[in-house]
Order: sequence, then C-alpha cells, then structure tokens
Amino acid sequence: MNKLFLKLIALFYPMLERSGVNVSQLYQILKIKLLIDNRRPKTAFAQNRQATKKTGKAGNIWGIYLVTGLMGVMVAFLLFLFKMPLVGQTVYFTLFMVLLALTMITDFTTVLLDVRDQYIILPRPVNDRTLTVSRILHIGIYVSKLALAQGLPGVILVGFADSWAAVPVFIVQLVEATFLSILLVNMVYLVLMKLVSPQKFKDIISYFQIGFSVLIFGSYYLIPRLVDTTVLANINLLHYAWAYFMPPVWIAALNEALIHWSRAGALTYVLAVLGLAAPLIGLWLVARVLAPGFNRKLAVVATSDGNSTTDTVTKEKPGFRLVSRIANLLAPDPVENAGFRITWTLAARIREFKIKVYPAFAYVPIYFVYFAFNSKGTGLSEKYEGLQHSHKYILLIYLSTFVLASILQHISYTEKFKASWVYYALPISKPGKILSGMYKAVSTLYYLPYCIVLGMISVYIWGPSVINDIILATFAGLIYGLLTALFLLKGLPFSKPVMVKQSGGRVAVSLLITSFVGLIGFAHYLLSRWEIVIWILIIPAMGLYWLMMHYYKKQSWESIEVEEL
Amino acid sequence: MSSVPLIEIRNLSKSYGDKLVLKHLSLDIYPGQVIGYIGPNGAGKSTTVKILTGLIPDFNGEVTVNGLSMRNNPQEIKKLIGYVPENAELYDVLTPMEYLDFIGKLYDMEEAQLHNRARKLLAAFGLEANADNRMDTFSKGMRQKVLLISGIIHNPQIIILDEPLSGLDANAVILVKELIMRLSKEGKTIFYCSHMMDVVEKVSDRILLINKGEIVADGTFESLKQDHADTLERVFAKLTGRDESTHETDAIINAFD
Repeated sequence: MNKLFLKLIALFYPMLERSGVNVSQLYQILKIKLLIDNRRPKTAFAQNRQATKKTGKAGNIWGIYLVTGLMGVMVAFLLFLFKMPLVGQTVYFTLFMVLLALTMITDFTTVLLDVRDQYIILPRPVNDRTLTVSRILHIGIYVSKLALAQGLPGVILVGFADSWAAVPVFIVQLVEATFLSILLVNMVYLVLMKLVSPQKFKDIISYFQIGFSVLIFGSYYLIPRLVDTTVLANINLLHYAWAYFMPPVWIAALNEALIHWSRAGALTYVLAVLGLAAPLIGLWLVARVLAPGFNRKLAVVATSDGNSTTDTVTKEKPGFRLVSRIANLLAPDPVENAGFRITWTLAARIREFKIKVYPAFAYVPIYFVYFAFNSKGTGLSEKYEGLQHSHKYILLIYLSTFVLASILQHISYTEKFKASWVYYALPISKPGKILSGMYKAVSTLYYLPYCIVLGMISVYIWGPSVINDIILATFAGLIYGLLTALFLLKGLPFSKPVMVKQSGGRVAVSLLITSFVGLIGFAHYLLSRWEIVIWILIIPAMGLYWLMMHYYKKQSWESIEVEEL
Repeated sequence: MSSVPLIEIRNLSKSYGDKLVLKHLSLDIYPGQVIGYIGPNGAGKSTTVKILTGLIPDFNGEVTVNGLSMRNNPQEIKKLIGYVPENAELYDVLTPMEYLDFIGKLYDMEEAQLHNRARKLLAAFGLEANADNRMDTFSKGMRQKVLLISGIIHNPQIIILDEPLSGLDANAVILVKELIMRLSKEGKTIFYCSHMMDVVEKVSDRILLINKGEIVADGTFESLKQDHADTLERVFAKLTGRDESTHETDAIINAFD
C-alpha cells in the first residue's frame, strides 16, 4: 500500500523538482515516516484496543482501517434514508468530513508535532520546501488511506441507493470531501498557531479532541432521539439560505447536478461548481496566506516543551487555599495527604489524562437524555413532562458512577510513569494510604461536585423530595468506586505506562461489580416510594463506605502491581 | 594550523522576546581545532550551537562557514557539519541500520558505501549484534552511540557535539575522548559542549567560556590556568561569578536547624 503511494507520488517528481524540492530526500523522508507510522501504536481507539507498546505491529494498522471501514458502512446506510434531493448525501458528507477531521486531529497531531524532526531532519542539508512538501504529502497519504477505508462502503452502497452512474461521481465527491477536510483541519491549525502561544496551542488541540469525541458520542445517541427523521427526510435544503454555506451541500450538489439533472435548478449547478472550486481556492489560501512561517511556528511548538525559549512560564499559585483545606481535612495522615495532593495536582495538569477522562463528564448527561427521552410522547415538551412524573433521577445519579469508573480506569496510567520511582524508593510501609488519598481526591474533587450539580438539576426538575435519593445514590456510587478500586485498580496514581494489556479476568470482575451496582440501583428504584426507608438506608451505606475505606487503607505492597522502571 | 578561519562569527546576537541571549558574539575557529565550549545553564550555549547547525535561521550578525554565509547557504553548510544533539532524539521504532540509512541518504550518500560504513561504525562502537534490532529497547548509552555514528556517518569536516557523553559508561567515555583526539588529528574541527570540566580540560585545545551571552574567556587550558585559577572548574566558578566562600553550603547545612 505504502509503496503504491510512493510510486504515485513519483509521477510528480519532475514537477516537484522544478519547484525546488529535492526528490530523493523527499522519497527518503516519506519512506521512513510511513515505516514509522506502521510501527507506531495508534492513539485513536486505543481505549478500545488494549495493545502493548512492543507488539505494535502492522496488525494494528489493519485494525484501525477495519474500524474506520465499519464506521464508513454505518454512515453509508444514511444514503438510503432520505428520499429528498441533497439531504441524504449532505448528511453523509457532513459525517464523513467530521469523522475524517476528528481522526486527523486526534491521531495526527502527535505526528505533526513530532519534536524529533527538529533534531533529526533539520540539521541535515534538507531545505524548507522539501520538508514542508514531505509533511504535506505524509498527511496526504495518511488521510487518503483513511478516506479510502471510510469512503469505500459508500462508493458501493451509493450504487444501490442511487444509480450505478452515481458511483464515479461519488468518487470525485469523496476526493472533494477529503480535500476540504484536510483544508479545514489545516486552517484551524494555522489560524490557532497565528493566534495563540505554543503551549496554549497544545491545550486547545486537546480540548478540541475532548469536544469532538463528546460531539460524536452525543450526536450518535441523541440526534435520532431528539430529531424526527421523518421531518428531516422531507426537508428541502435549498429553501434555507444557511445551506448555501455548508461545504457538504456543495459536494452533494455535484451528484444532483450530474445524475439528477432533470430536477436540479441553476442554484444546484452553482453550488456544484463551488464544491469543485473550493478545494483549489482553499489550497491557494493555505499555501499563500497561512502557510508561510508554518514550519517555524511548528518548530517553536514542538520544542516548547523541552526548551526555555518560551518566556511565559506559568507560575502555579502555591497552595490553592480551598483544596489545601479539603486535603488536610479529609486526609490528615501525612502519607495519605501526599497521595491526595499528588493525585489532585497531577490529574488537573496531565493532558493525556484529561483527554481521556473529561469526555466522561459529558457522556453521563447524554446517556441520561438518551434513556430519559425514551418515553412515550411525540413532542419534546411532552417527553419532558413524562420525565417529571418518572423516577429517572435515580438513574441519573447512578449513571454518574461512569465518571468515577472512567477516572479510576485511567488514574494509574501516564506516559511519564517513570517518575513514580519515588513511591518505591521512599520508606512507605502502607501504600494503601496513598491509594486511599488518591481515591478521596478523585471522589471529592471530581465525583462529588459532579453529583452535587446533578443533584441540583434533579431538585430543580423533580422537587426537593429527591434529596434523600441523591444522597443514598451518591454513597452507593462511592462504594461502587471503592469496589472497583479494590479489585481492579492495582497501580499507584500515575505509575504505569499507557496501554498495558489488561488481563481478561478483570473484564469479568468489572462486569460483576457493575451489575452489582445496577442491582443496588434497581433495589433503590423499587424502594424509592418510601421516603423514610431511603433516609434510613443512608446510614448503613455511609457505614459500609467507612468500613471499606478502612480496609482499603490497609493494602500492602503485595496487592499492588509494581511497574519495572 | 591554517590561518584562514573555518568558522567566522561576527557580531552575533539573538533574542527571545526582549531577552537578549547572545550579545554581539564574535569568534574565529580554525580548521583542526577542538573547541571546548562551556558555560552555565542558560548562558547561550545551546543557542550558539543551534545557530551554527542551522536550526535557528533568524539571528542578527554574520555566521560564515568555509566562506559560505549561513544566511544564504544554510544547506551547503549543513553538509559540512555533523551534529550530535543534546537530548537523545531519534526515531526509536527503527533499527540502527534503518536510521543510519535514512540519515546517510539525506546527505546524498550512495547506498553501498553508506551501508558498508554504517556496519563498520556500528561494529566499532560495539553495536554489531544490535544493528537490526529496534532502538526502543536500547539503553541510553546505546542510543547515544547511534546518535554519535549518525553525526559522523557522512565524514563531515566540522563535528558539533552537545553533551555527547551523557549516558555512556566509562569505557565508552574513553572511546569518545580518544575519538575526538583522533578526529582532530585527521584535520576535523570539533565543537564540543559539555558541563564535564575534566573532559573538556583534557580534549580541547581551545576553551571558550560563555556567560550571560558573552564570551568571558578564550584560550588554551594552560593560558586560562595562568590567568585565573588552577583547575577548569575553578576558572569556571570564578568567571561565572560563583561566590568563592562557603555561603551556599552554609545555607544548606543551616536549613536543617
């Protein structure tokens, strides 16, 4: 596959050479970059596919394409859904572009910002143009492969959904969509780089990643719930002026203009031409206006971590008062206090952790809306009323254990796990104290505020009578988290390398614990009509939590997996 | 020794924001010299090296290497230079052979000669058995050796080494020290940055001390000894303004009270 791409690019060598690119260097750089890509464990979907660093073989690559292809199939079925002109293809290409852009941003930022290029390629006699072109082509190849995997199902299915004549047009449309996605991502990058400092840039990119994953997740669950597809299917896009500014509409217009020309108006033709011209205009814009200085900026971004070239060193305020107070109050034991504070500070600052955990905060409301609006009734207000008369607030609180589970799943992993040598080098007789400090930190600083917010929302919707349920459910959640921590969490905070294969037995344990909580939640639901029972039950729940914490604290080194440093 | 300088630096300045890190540096380096370049952290050492290797293209002043201007001919200059950077960055999913093949070809070397030389150099550094293993399992010292090889694979005229000894064991340190002297005998010019005063003292025939963006001492070890103090460590301490007295250690010991 890679060889094919390299051969394809070789066709353009004469042209590239004339523009000042050293093609033999270009070939070498691309070859090595593609080789590295093949050996690099992919970051996207890494949460689903547990892979160790050392077994990162070509198999992973095919896995990625398989997943991407499957998504492509799902998206492609949308082509069948809508009968009105433009709508089906517009929805398809919107999703196609969003998915592609998302994968590019999550998976390719690390490649684009590879610090090592600065030290490996830049000191060699490689000119700027060669390096820039190699970077663009590298991205191009990468995206083309993804687009191919993602678009292929569409190419076939459009033959059934529309007509066989639509297939070649569809291929052109896919190229358009791919180009536009690349340009879009490029422009976002370039504009961000012009506007913000390098360090901020990395942060913003990571928030983008968080935002995007929430968006995908949310639209997957909620759009079918909240939007009536029958209404959408009969929409006439061209009646709306905003549709003229949507690139997917331009792309879809090409199909209309060429295949269904009998029903297409002049406007459709204009849009179709716009779709064909947009990638070219965008390319020109990027090359002329935004790209100059891109490499240099990139160099600054890439080196800003290791070097003191940035003047804006963020000074952390020593001892954020409130957190300090909370830490001392909840974890008075010095070792436990250390565990509490280190977890709190690191969790708030380690970017990779935030990227993985923060989306969970948004997933809970999405899940809830998904389940809640499952009830009968057609309009949104009817559904809301139906919701008010149900006991679904219990579900809401129990769902929030998802946040806790997500935090606990990631709390012991980081790329810089080697710093955890301190735990092993220092005379800590009971590592359980660090763990309990950690648990208290994540539960008080992430889970409890979250429950309080959800609780307030619940009180707003259902009235104050739900307070007892919320308290009980919160404690049940804490107990669930502690159970998870006891049985599944075997590492100290931020002490293990990312992506270590988990043993199969753990999945079973995890399922067991989760179903146990589900059972408790169900029992809670059944008992919830007797208010007083719920109030009384809070006491044993608190007692149980306290007791478990007592034992959790006593964990010795034997029960902790020590990573070889 | 030739009287025509190989590297000429005139009035070189560089600032980040309003912080001036290099203040009107001027230097002549002659072919065959081994320059020991020392100075405290943040003195401007790395910046000088990055400008010399073409990593920082915007600077004020003139840098000329072998008659070529850094501003107009950076690529030609890069061909003359072998650079071993401080932080051991390499693509560690590659094997040493793959990596060296890549680097060599960026210098336009021919494959047969390149592979032959790469094997020989790897063998000479004791990495023969690991030549085709991925570098992600390598120790720091092994990576450093591969980096050193990648810095000399194209037989450059000028070799710039930035802390080349980090992570190397004692035997490898001896090897590198001997190598520096041998390369200098072969007529190579070596620019050696380090914090290890004892090594700098031994290998360099000219020592440059930079402090706060300015060269504060320039000469052979012997001449520096005569002018300032008896060891390079003391010269360094004196010229970079460290207190001679025991104030610092006093303060540390007193902190326990």
